[in-house]
Amino acid sequence: MSYEDYQRWKTTPIEEQPALSIVIPAYNEEARIVPTIGAIASHVSSLGIPWELIVSDDGSKDRTVQVVEELGFANLRVLRAQRNEGKGSAVRRGMLAARGKVVLFDDADNSTPIEEIGKLLEKINEGYDVAIGSRAARGAEEANKSLVRRIMSNGLRWIVASVFSTGAHDTQCGFKMFTRDAAQRLFRAQTISGFSFDLEILYLANKLGYRIVEVPIAWVDAPGSKLDPTKEAQRFLRDLVRIKLNDLRGIYANA
Amino acid sequence: MQISMREVKPMSKSDQTIAVVGLSGRFDAHEVPQVRQALMQATNRTKGHVVIDLGGVNFIDSSGLACLVQGMKYCREHGADQILCNLQQPVRIIFELTRLDRAFKIMVSVEEATTALAA
Repeated sequence: MSYEDYQRWKTTPIEEQPALSIVIPAYNEEARIVPTIGAIASHVSSLGIPWELIVSDDGSKDRTVQVVEELGFANLRVLRAQRNEGKGSAVRRGMLAARGKVVLFDDADNSTPIEEIGKLLEKINEGYDVAIGSRAARGAEEANKSLVRRIMSNGLRWIVASVFSTGAHDTQCGFKMFTRDAAQRLFRAQTISGFSFDLEILYLANKLGYRIVEVPIAWVDAPGSKLDPTKEAQRFLRDLVRIKLNDLRGIYANA
Repeated sequence: MQISMREVKPMSKSDQTIAVVGLSGRFDAHEVPQVRQALMQATNRTKGHVVIDLGGVNFIDSSGLACLVQGMKYCREHGADQILCNLQQPVRIIFELTRLDRAFKIMVSVEEATTALAA
């Protein structure tokens, strides 16, 4: 890990196609996003590949956009949004704007340490199309997760496993990597803008025959979550039905 | 997060003791209460300067940074000084991006920090 690599990435625009794009969806993250960008920039710059960072704002009402733009990084783009439409919308815009051969989306609170990226890259290099960080796979480590969130996660995982065939035990972890082809095709077909968009993406990936692998990762329940667990669980269950209906109505037929 | 504390008596004219607080792991809001307590204890126990060894910290969020600012203020209110040292690259970059590298005294090693404080 070299400080010079980071300085070079920070100041020199890459000219070729990035090997990797990282997308961070952000809504009112002015307090949390700069340390996360610092950690990502430090680690990924040392991998020795050309890469870009995209912060996809979701209509933040605070200074998220300004604090990121003020960093003035040569290979960091901010996508602005006029209004708040949900995490799925911000991720979608970021994934479709990404120029990388491989694209990762990652949470603004650094709840999955960026050092875990190597495990996902390894799987993509092995030929998988979609590599997803998982808190449910054998070998994963979860820290500081409250009892309520633990019960809710396990309940939702059970329902998803019973109703859907996504090929994944943990559909909601915000650390997922795609090949460019998979990202473009899947996120163009996405219809859900909220919290459950991951489920739809994995459902589609499975339906379209992409090779998916679940990778155990370390995950920390970062303080300051904006999710209301009860409301999100209700919305999640509604979206489960919606995805099934979308499929039955042929909405994904052109994906 | 793991927190350690030891006291160092540098060779100097004053017989003041310096507390060295070592932190390791991820430093976020979950860890703030125990770190805050450790920093206050360090200042109260030695009535003197505090060196914070961040060598084991791989990530610090805004709550962790705010906790260190509070620790520095507490130290100064007690007529003492606080120095950070041994920053890993990601943490160093986070200090730079938040411009807090200008607010803190930051040194390379515990030895350099204790020597500076004893001078």
